[in-house]
Amino acid sequence: MKTRFNRRGALARIGGAVAGLLSLPVARTVKAAVQKGFVTSGAPNGYDPSKHKWLMCIDDTRCIGCGLCAEACKKENGVPEGPFYRTWIERYVITKPKAGSGQTRGETLVDSPNGGMDGFGPPPVPKDQIEHSFFVPKLCNLCAHSPCTQVCPVGATFDAPDGAVLIDPNYCIGCGFCIQACPYGCRFLSPVTHTAEKCTLCYHRITRGLKPACVEICPTQTRIFGDLLNLQPDDPIQKFYEKNRVQVLKPHLGTEPRVLYAGLDKEVR
Amino acid sequence: MKLFKMPPQIVRLVLLTLAIVGSYFVARAFLTPQSFGKFGWYRANALEELASHTPVFAGKKACDECHSDILEKLAKGAHKTLSCEACHGVSRLHAENPNIAAGKQTEEEVTGKTTGGRIELTGSHCIRCHEANPSRPAWFKQIVVKEHYEGKCTDCHVPHQPNEMP
Repeated sequence: MKTRFNRRGALARIGGAVAGLLSLPVARTVKAAVQKGFVTSGAPNGYDPSKHKWLMCIDDTRCIGCGLCAEACKKENGVPEGPFYRTWIERYVITKPKAGSGQTRGETLVDSPNGGMDGFGPPPVPKDQIEHSFFVPKLCNLCAHSPCTQVCPVGATFDAPDGAVLIDPNYCIGCGFCIQACPYGCRFLSPVTHTAEKCTLCYHRITRGLKPACVEICPTQTRIFGDLLNLQPDDPIQKFYEKNRVQVLKPHLGTEPRVLYAGLDKEVR
Repeated sequence: MKLFKMPPQIVRLVLLTLAIVGSYFVARAFLTPQSFGKFGWYRANALEELASHTPVFAGKKACDECHSDILEKLAKGAHKTLSCEACHGVSRLHAENPNIAAGKQTEEEVTGKTTGGRIELTGSHCIRCHEANPSRPAWFKQIVVKEHYEGKCTDCHVPHQPNEMP
């Protein structure tokens, strides 16, 4: 019977094991170098996303349609020129019903010229034909069950632990699935980066203890923003949801938005 | 002395399968970012990257550090809910360096001369909100500018204390 180990074989095995051990640090260095291309250090500032739960409330009885929020959002976030908005204002005009039609109201007209950024001109129908008219600020609805994150094929969009729905710009491949999935039309494909873009709740501001730009600039306190896990005494957000009867947009979709509206009409979608 | 002998083509297939599956695990170990899976099925470092942008608007708190006298007056009138930057413009640079005038956003815009915080009130600041529009809520004070007055808004109104006469 032939011996299983000979000198040459044993030496070759020992040499292979040493070479393998030596190559481990090299492999680690290569791994770190490869990962550096995907990971940047960013700016850690002691913000722990699991210790916050952000909530946006909109008191629609207060919006005057000045458009400062939409303009501020563009400036704050460098949103591309053109019809791209992370937040915008819609004007609803509900006309009076035709006499004898048996209806409570006529047509509903909705417009948003340039996202409301330049304000609104005269309404599309004469004043005496209007039954109701109002402005509705729109933004990402911060869904707890967000359809946009479910369809992302590369894990580039996600629900952060603090309630924000965000996009990883380095991982987004710009396929546009999420843009079609969002029932609120809150996403767009950036013509600059060719990736999907959306409201980040001004993530760079809220992590520094500032308010989102639209909330900061709103002159009538239509937009109220707060942190449910760190409520201050007489927090405006607590006052808002205790005082008002609130609703969300498209509740039948089961997306459970974290943007609460007060004073909406049934025509608002 | 082998317990059972596999046909060589099967051995090759098994080895090939192991090589393919093995290369997948090697590639996965190299390419998966370290922070992936920290909070969920995404790269946790993206949160830091998104948070690392520099804010543009300084915020009312920053204004309060130096201009608390004006803010105290503002808090007494109907304009108490207004942010300074709603009229004065984006002023982070001014908050960092008071020699730069408020309302300047970019380095190119900064000419080094300060206007002392005064803004040229063209009236567009006021009518952006106060021009009458049937879509605006009824509680909000509105005027039809053409019927109201032909001169400057500031002839009769103090922007920081809108209920007072100048």
